[in-house]
Order: sequence, then C-alpha cells, then structure tokens
Amino acid sequence: MGSVVLVVRLALADVRRHRAQAAMLLLTVTVATATMAMGLSLHGVSDALYERTRAATAGPDVVVLSGESGPDVTAALASLAGHPGVVAHHGPYRIVYADLATRDALSSPVVVHGFAETPGPVNRPLVTSGRWVRPGGAVLERGFAVALGVGVGDRVTIAGRSYPVVGIAVTAATSIYPWGAQIGPYGGPSDYTGLAWMTRSDARELAAARRLPVTTAVDLRLRDPAAAESFRTTVGDDHRVRAFGSTFRSWTFTARQDMVILRNAQPILVIGSWLLGFLAVTGVVTLAAGRVAEQTRRAGLLKAVGAGPGLIAAVLLTEYLAAALAGDALGLMIARLAMPAVAAPTASRIGDAEPTAAAVAAATVLAVAVAVLSTLGPTLRAMRTATVTALAAPAYQPRRRPRLTALSALLPTPLLLGLRLTARRPGRAVLQACSTATTVVAIIVLLTVHAQRERGYGLDGSTALPNLRGLHDRRLMLAITVLLIALAVVNTLVFTWTTAMEARANMAVARTLGATPGQITAGLSAAQLLPSLPGAAVGVPLGVLVYLFFRVGDTVPPRPSWMLGAVLATLLGTAALTALPARLAARRSVARTLSAETA
Amino acid sequence: MRGPVLRARGLVKHHGRGQSLVRAVDEVDLEVHAGQTLAVMGPSGCGKSTLLHLLGGLERPTAGEVWVAGRRIDTLSERALARLRRRSVGFVFQAFHLVEELSAAENVELPVLLAGRSPREARRRASLLLDRVGLADRARHLPSRLSGGQRQRVAIARALANEPLVVLADEPTGNLDTAATLDVLRIFEDLRAAGQTLVIVTHDERVAATADRLVSMRDGMFVDDTRLTAAHPRGLGGLGGMLGLGG
Repeated sequence: MGSVVLVVRLALADVRRHRAQAAMLLLTVTVATATMAMGLSLHGVSDALYERTRAATAGPDVVVLSGESGPDVTAALASLAGHPGVVAHHGPYRIVYADLATRDALSSPVVVHGFAETPGPVNRPLVTSGRWVRPGGAVLERGFAVALGVGVGDRVTIAGRSYPVVGIAVTAATSIYPWGAQIGPYGGPSDYTGLAWMTRSDARELAAARRLPVTTAVDLRLRDPAAAESFRTTVGDDHRVRAFGSTFRSWTFTARQDMVILRNAQPILVIGSWLLGFLAVTGVVTLAAGRVAEQTRRAGLLKAVGAGPGLIAAVLLTEYLAAALAGDALGLMIARLAMPAVAAPTASRIGDAEPTAAAVAAATVLAVAVAVLSTLGPTLRAMRTATVTALAAPAYQPRRRPRLTALSALLPTPLLLGLRLTARRPGRAVLQACSTATTVVAIIVLLTVHAQRERGYGLDGSTALPNLRGLHDRRLMLAITVLLIALAVVNTLVFTWTTAMEARANMAVARTLGATPGQITAGLSAAQLLPSLPGAAVGVPLGVLVYLFFRVGDTVPPRPSWMLGAVLATLLGTAALTALPARLAARRSVARTLSAETA
Repeated sequence: MRGPVLRARGLVKHHGRGQSLVRAVDEVDLEVHAGQTLAVMGPSGCGKSTLLHLLGGLERPTAGEVWVAGRRIDTLSERALARLRRRSVGFVFQAFHLVEELSAAENVELPVLLAGRSPREARRRASLLLDRVGLADRARHLPSRLSGGQRQRVAIARALANEPLVVLADEPTGNLDTAATLDVLRIFEDLRAAGQTLVIVTHDERVAATADRLVSMRDGMFVDDTRLTAAHPRGLGGLGGMLGLGG
C-alpha cells in the first residue's frame, strides 16, 4: 500500500512540475487513439448500421432482379416464393429507370420502385419524415434526399413529370446512396443512382408514358438467412429465372457494398493513427531524453533507500502511463462523438455508431505503447546505472565529431553553430527528420487525393452532386493532415526549445566570444532545419508510394509545382516556428546563464 | 592608445525592489589604462563578478556609464556588444566554460571563426596560443582529458584568440589546486609583461599579488584602491618569492 502511495505521490509531483510535457503527451495520445479507434471501427460500425436498418425495415435476405419485364418474367420471379427455402416474399415489383431534377436544377439518375400503399411482410421501408407512398406522390430514399437537399413538401421532376415529395424513408433492400440501382437498365451496368418509391400504378404509368427501361424484382426472406449467398446455387440451373438472366443480391452483398464508400477511409484513418502515434512518440522521447539525468538520479535515490527494480520502474513510468491513459479515454470519447459523421457519410442508414470493443482495445494498446516507447530508454538506463553513479548523474556529454567540426568551420557562423548543435544530438536530428518526413508524406497524400478526377453523382457524372466517397476521403485526409501538422508544429517547438536549453551554456559562451543574438537564433533554427531538409526530400516519394499502395485503379499524380510548394512551405514553416523559441533562448542573460551553470 | 582602455562612471547595478533590493554594484568609478593589471578583491557577494560582467557588456547597468576604448557600451544593442566582444574583450571564467565536445585547439579556434576569419587563420592562431600557454602537445585533447589547470590555460588561450584590448578574468584560479594556480599565475605574469590589459576578480591574494593595482570591494562599493609599487610590493610578504616572480 505504501508503495502505491509513493508511486502516486511522485507521479503527481512530476505532472505538476512538468505540466507542458504531460499536456503534450495527453494531446498527442488523444489524437492518435481517436483516429485509430475510428479507423478500426469502420467495418464493424458499417455492419452494425446495416443490421439495425435491416431489422427496422424487415430487410430481405435475397433480392432477385431481372433486366426484363413482362408477365413471363413476373411469373418466373413469383415462383421463387414457393421455393422450400423461402418463408416470405414481397413482389414481384417494377423498377423504373428515369432522371430526377430538383427545383435547384440538380439532376440525377433515379430508380423508382413501384410499391403498394401498405407495405408487406418483407422490405418495409422505414419512413423517417412525412408519410409512405400515395397516388401522385413520391417518397425519396433518405441518403438521396439529403444529397439533393430536398425535403417533404418539395417538388421534384421525374422523367419530365412533377411530383410532390410526400415522405423520406430508409431501406436495407439496396445499398446506400448512390448505389440505389442494383443492376442497370435491361440488366446492364449501373451508374450512381438515387432511389425513390411510388405507388405501383404511378410507376407503371410513368414507365409507359415515357417508354422508360424497366426491370423486375422480388424480395425474399429465407428460412436460413445465413444461406443467402448460396441461395442462387440452391435455386438450380433449370429454374425459370435463369432464362431471364436474373441477378441475385444477398443481404451480405448489400452490407459489403455499404463499405465501398469507406474503402479509402479505413486506411486513411488507420495509417493516419500510426503516423500520429509516431509523431507523438518522437515528441515525448525528446522531452523524456532531456530528463534522463533527473530520472537517473531519482532511480539512484530510490535504490539507495531500498527500492526494488519493479518499484523504480513504476515510479519512472507512472507519470507517462497516467497521461497516456487519460489521453486514451479522451480520444475514445472523441471517437464516440465523431463516429457517426465518419462511418456514415450518407444518411441512408439508421442507428448509433460507436467504436467497437476491438478498436477500443487497440487504441488503448497504442496509448500504452506511446508512453512506454517514449520512456523505455531513459528508464532502462536509469535502472541499470549503479547507485553511486546515478546519484551523481552528470549532464549529457555529446560525442566528439571532428569531421563535422572541421566542416562547420568552413560555414558562416549561423550554420557553424547549427551544424555543431545538430551533431550534439544526432538521434534528435533523426527524429526531426522523421517528423518532417511524416508531415510531408501526409501533405503529398492529401495533394494526390485532391488531384484525382472522379465522376460526380449527378446526371452524366455531373459534379453538381458531388462524389460523396471522394469528398469523404478528402475531408478525412485533410483532418488527418491538419492533425499531423499540428503535432509536427508542437514537436518542432519542443525540439528547438529542448536544444536551446541543453546548449544554453555553450550558446552563452559563444555570446561572450562575440556571437550576436541573431546568430545564435539563426544557429538554433538551422539546427532544426538541417535535418528537416532530407526529411522533406524523402517525404515526397514516400507520400506517393503510400498513396499508390492503397489506391485502386489509375492514379493521377499531383502537379510537381504543388509538391515542390508543399516541401518549401514545410521548410519555411519549420524555419518560422523555430525562430520564436530560438529567439527567446538567445536573449537570455549571458551572465545569469553562466552563473547558473557554475552553481 | 591614449585614454583609459576601460572606464566606468557612477556604475550601479541593482537586483530586486523594495525590501528585497540588492545593490550589487553601487556608484563605482573606475579607469584601467592600457597595459595595466587590475585586481579586484573582496568577500563573496560583494559584487566583484557583477562588476566584471558590467565592464564586459554581459549585463546592463541600472545606472552609470561604461566605456571601452573610448566607446560607450552600456547603450549598445546586444548585437553591437557581441561585435565589441569579438575584438576588444576576452573572458576567462572560474568554471572554464569550454565546449566539452571540442578539442583544446577547436575551443581556441572558435572565437577566431566567430570573428569571420578563415579556418586556416583560426588553426594558426590556436596553435600559436596553445604553444604560448604550454599546451601545444594537448591540442587534440578533449577538455575531459585535461586537468583543471590545463583547461584554464586553454580558456586563457581562447580569451586571447582575437588579441583583445582587455582580458577580464573572473576568479580564474577559484577551481584550481596550488600547482595549477601557479601555472595560471605565470601566464598572467607573462601577459602583464607583454603589455596585455587585465582585470582579474579574485579573493586569492596570490593572484592579486601579480597586479599593478589592487581595488578592494565591499557591498558593491570600492573601499580601497592601491597601486602596487615599491612601497606596496607585488610580492606581498613572500608570496612573490613563492611564485618565483622578480621585482
């Protein structure tokens, strides 16, 4: 019990003394865990939303569609209801292919399902506003209605005829908007299409008046829903539906289709969380390295009074673990709040979205990993150091680097100072380079995502109705990039300030020898910029590779001028960020700094 | 040069306010002429080091004026002060303040490089100075491999790198044993003989004995100013003999 109290007391005292470090760890872990929890949950959440919608709308287990219409097709589809594996059915019903236009001149392909005014036992769309179909009116699928900006009471034009929107509804019989058409006209390929319902007679009249393409469909509920994928096989090759080139859509297929819109979102979030976690580790490692002497002395003190290795490790790690777990809790809360927007970019499904248990566990593991990785080195070093040595732990002694020293002598004073400062902590230089590379990778991927051309969801691929998948990807990528840039900014400030503090005695001596504050400031900035240069250079091809690894289909590269601009902006941003802490450090009183070193 | 190398008039440095006001330097007037060696003695906390920092432009006075080589420095910008220190002022500190990851030669080269001279010139100058302080064979050694006295000699060589008008030494033997102290004192004596202007802050009478003039400080003020002449010999009561110094 006493050990626990000791550990808690010391951890609290550390957090109070190193508030900035605790805040930084909290912030970075929050961001990384929120992103990872959302990324890993996407598939599970998408499935959960589909399941809820299916349950609420008596979704069919199989939808059988034929590209043809007529009495023979209708009879063939209707005969499926008598199959021994089928327990209930809806239809056959007519599906009419048309164009829809709104008052705001937005137009889109639409499939109109002809339904009874009283829905049957299978495929009962859930009306979320207004009412179900009535003669002369149209009900729009909710995702489609939201994309069009249309509500109950508005009028839409379908195949040249004006209809009032009498209701908005959701269904699980089709995939989410814009995949309302499960097959194209006459059984061909389908395009981005919205979904609407009318009465059977209105649909028939619409098709006849405009000679529109029509397909026929029937919804089936099976005795064994798990056998939906194999139902087509059990129907048999000699069944009449085969003669009409029928397409079988299982509920599992529809659920998988829901994930198409999130196909890029998952890697964006998961890889984004790794990159955010990496930046978190680099920043905290730098801060932790600056406390090595203090931690080593503490370990020596604890050993001297009889503490064992377990207690020492607990004391050294608890502060970081506590901040990381707090960040994890905060991150999961943010993920819970943001999940609906991330997992359901359309309004086609109902239900709550929250991170899955597996994602919560993975995010917590990430949080603990960030804390442990950041402090493992200094902790092990502290525990391995002999007690007497630990109690007298000297400040960090950099290695001599004669070639770099000789090279720096050829350079102007700021670069001379900058190069020598970089050489004092090569590990930190590598971290700075990696931090810059990570930021540039994200920017390049963002630029590449923006460079891709995509078809809009409007009529003939018009972007008047934006491609929601592309839009969602760009928004997520932008959010991840902004977060990475924010962490990189924090890291750069930390690197610069930590370098300035560690080298303050040497910089004070340099000022006594004639270096101006401006030269010291420039030297401290150069110490961060020098490793950032190769980091930025490596980040460009890495960013392209990351994108290509996950991209399906052809890729349009971003313009070289954009990429060069991104690199230059990153480097200029780094220079600007380092200037403030460098300037503050360079202006410290020389006399006070040297006196403090002597004391 | 005509006129004093260093001049201070009504120099004041205060720390804190009200009840916690500390008068580190209190209305000090001082002139140091070219070639002079001035020793400033006094108990701990009397303001000796603060005075040195004010004279070298490392701190700004609360009031008063400081002149170096006829140029007023207390109103200069930090940038101008840095430039002044390159050419006119050399510092020697009690704690040596060498850069640990640079060799002895590289430490001495540093001010020459900061003054914008070529690496070749810097190397030549460092070699000359290390030879002068008797450390030519230690040029490539890191400070961690040098004794305290050797480190201080490197620091002195560094202070002389740009041929300053004045060398300001703050307790140069404070961290040294007797043997090392004697080595350093010999160097100071050589510098004095060569006409280098020196201001040495010390509480060590052996060091003070090497000076031409001795100023005593107490509570931030000068309380005594003595020229060390035949009437007041530099080798006070046998110390000169111990040092092996003539005169």
